[in-house]
Amino acid sequence: MQASKQKFTIHKNDSQKRYFERFLSAFFKVTTYLIIALAGYIFVNIAYNGSKALFIAEAPFINIDFLTQKPQTLHVYEPKEIYDQISQLKSAILELKTRREAIGSSDAQASREIQNNIKVLEAQVQALDQKRKADRLLYSDQQHRALAQEPDQSLYHYKNYAYSGGGVGPAIIGTCLLVLGSITIALILGVLCATYLSEYSKPGPMLQLIRLSILNLSGVPSIVFGLFGFGLFVLLFDWGVSMLAGWLTLAIMALPVIITASEESMRAIPKGFREGSLALGASKWTAIRTNVLPYALPGILTSSIMGIARVAGETAPIMFTAAYALRDRLPWEGLENGSDFFFQGVMALPYHIYVVSSKIPQNEYTRNMQYGAALVFLIIVGFFALSSILLRAKIRKRYKW
Amino acid sequence: MKRYFHDELEQLRSSLILIGEKAAHAGRLAIDGYLENDLEKTEAAIALDDEIDALEVEIDRACVRYITLRSPVSTDVRLIFVAIKASHDLERAGDEAHNIAKRTRNILLRDSKTLCTESIAEMSQIAFSMMQDAITCFLDEDCEMAKRIIARDEEVDKINKENFLRLASKDASQNQDNSTQIETIFISKSIERIADHAKNLAEEVIYLLEGDLDSI
Amino acid sequence: MHTTESSETLNTIIEVKDFNFAYGESQALFDIDIDIKEKEVTAFIGPSGCGKSTFLRCFNRMNDLIDIARIKSGSININGINIYDDSVDVIELRKHVGMVFQKSNPFPKSIYENIAYGLRIQGVKDKSKLDQVVEECLRGAAIWDEVKDRLHDSALGMSGGQQQRLCIARALAVKPKILLMDEPCSALDPIATAKVEELIHELKKDYTIIIVTHNMQQAARVSDKTAFFYLGKLIEFDQTDHIFMQPSNPQTEAYVSGRFG
Repeated sequence: MQASKQKFTIHKNDSQKRYFERFLSAFFKVTTYLIIALAGYIFVNIAYNGSKALFIAEAPFINIDFLTQKPQTLHVYEPKEIYDQISQLKSAILELKTRREAIGSSDAQASREIQNNIKVLEAQVQALDQKRKADRLLYSDQQHRALAQEPDQSLYHYKNYAYSGGGVGPAIIGTCLLVLGSITIALILGVLCATYLSEYSKPGPMLQLIRLSILNLSGVPSIVFGLFGFGLFVLLFDWGVSMLAGWLTLAIMALPVIITASEESMRAIPKGFREGSLALGASKWTAIRTNVLPYALPGILTSSIMGIARVAGETAPIMFTAAYALRDRLPWEGLENGSDFFFQGVMALPYHIYVVSSKIPQNEYTRNMQYGAALVFLIIVGFFALSSILLRAKIRKRYKW
Repeated sequence: MKRYFHDELEQLRSSLILIGEKAAHAGRLAIDGYLENDLEKTEAAIALDDEIDALEVEIDRACVRYITLRSPVSTDVRLIFVAIKASHDLERAGDEAHNIAKRTRNILLRDSKTLCTESIAEMSQIAFSMMQDAITCFLDEDCEMAKRIIARDEEVDKINKENFLRLASKDASQNQDNSTQIETIFISKSIERIADHAKNLAEEVIYLLEGDLDSI
Repeated sequence: MHTTESSETLNTIIEVKDFNFAYGESQALFDIDIDIKEKEVTAFIGPSGCGKSTFLRCFNRMNDLIDIARIKSGSININGINIYDDSVDVIELRKHVGMVFQKSNPFPKSIYENIAYGLRIQGVKDKSKLDQVVEECLRGAAIWDEVKDRLHDSALGMSGGQQQRLCIARALAVKPKILLMDEPCSALDPIATAKVEELIHELKKDYTIIIVTHNMQQAARVSDKTAFFYLGKLIEFDQTDHIFMQPSNPQTEAYVSGRFG
């Protein structure tokens, strides 16, 4: 074989290829940062708006009422004078705006004048609004009932808004219970299934069928799960709207993700561990129990994080099966016997956000509640995920391989 | 780290020393038989030759086995190489001792007296000391001693030439039958050959210690 | 002079008769007939794909793990019992026939737990007994001095050679009669290899050892008897001296002299 007669050129030259490479790497970078910026914007927006409901100016800085009370009607007392003034100014602005539109583009000078007027008026409205916010009185149901005497109707403009007061306490509890229960069930069933698939199953048409079914399950829309749960657990089994129905429906939703991730983590364990174990005279189950499952635990916990992510935020499955829009009792109150705990419905945060966002008229007060609930929800899901991650880190240290 | 089969090398060394000692012993017996006109010692020298031959075959077999099964390198393979060559040289030296003894027996049976005892004694003294030293410097791994042995070979060659001239001259053949002179010439040659083998041995020791094939 | 111990004085521990083995439709071993004597080291050599590893794994039925593997005919008798008989409990068999794998696979537990594993799964809980067995096995595998101060450290922190000797110690813990070694040194450097070979030389006083190796020099150094396999057939089986110095079969001659292929 003859040596190549090519010239030994290895110096850089300004070729198109280099610029293209640089452009590509910049492109990837920019796209990624855009996505992160978008995610950041969403979180920041929710955090900013939600913090108005969640955090208060004085110690202990967190609105405990918001976290513990159930949703109540908000009674708003706006200072009448200011309120009326604002209404007047607003109608004046509206008039000017109509007039400006009527003039259109024919008389630029007049149009600009009207524009200036509008601006002045708007500034006034702003100033008054500030004052209004400072002077108004807000009471939730509880507080309102506790008032010795209602504020003077002549001084204040009274309105009440449903669902805009109180807090999301029962919803938080309900969501936590639903997530914990469904993930527990899903983990148990999922790990059993993953063990079968990775350790005991033989390749063949049956296995293909099983995998196809699991894949299909993960593609089913969540509303269909809700209907399934409704038809089977609520109606057929006659459990009614109950936590158990919610648990099972959510568990089935989380199963595909948990099965797939758990099976992957079990397959990742090298064959040598099993072989070495068997060669020492262990039975198949002993080998799996001592040499595979403990080391697959971190992967299984990862799958649980993915499952929580899937399950915690779903509204449709729990809408018909487990969630109430409003419930007076907390889950452990008023139980006749132990099993009643499982057969009661609960409030849940995703459903509550849905109710608050779409079922009632929109205004600044309901907006507070919505964002507050959303922020609390994010924090809770983040908390579940974090505890799973910490648990996984601890187990990873113990069962390192 | 000592491997269990390194013992086989130690055994090989012992066998080499054994064949060396046997060859030296055979030579000593033969020459003593010649110088002292002792038939018994001569017979004993003749008998030793079979043992020496058997030892050489055993050493060869062990060497081939070690090369096949242990894949030696460096000093180990040089030891094997030297063992094969040295055992051959020692076996040839044994053969020469055997020849000396046979011829001595012939002379004694014919004349009951040997000739040239002085020069033969002088030659054999040098030759056997060379042989002994060669075995010693193999044991002690002494390169300098080996080099000195090589130098002494010339002396033996010189004495052998003198013997030849004297024994082959007209003076010597006063008797009609000069078989004894001829046998003595052969004996002198045999001793010279023994010295040659000792020199070879010394060269092989140098190769073993220094690894340079030019020394052989 | 060195002589190998006369094989006539030792008992036969494994008898293989007309053994045929296949993976599904493709046959891997053809009519194997071989008798292995106890407390000897037997080496299986041959080119890649000749079936030596497959054959080794038949002795402790590790091939059962592969679904399509099946025995077509013949028998393997260990101490007189046909190990492929239906009445044989595979798990019990594997306690008597231990195995060391090509890639050392220490469990990601502590050194102590690795050795104790075989006993723990049999239900042994007595700490003093476990301590005793651990020390015995680590001494038997010639790594006691190296690890006695860090028995509870992870086994994964050891070097490759130490790990392999740990695996040998682990296999010894259940007191097998036969030790199967599948290319135990192929991943080790020369010094670690030498240590394992010395270990094998020591162990053969008490255990029957069968070693598969593609390193012929290793087979020559370590074994008393050597079997040469090619394409699933046993070509020649004889004392190691004969196989390497005067093989009877020309194929064997070609293989050991490197003229094969």
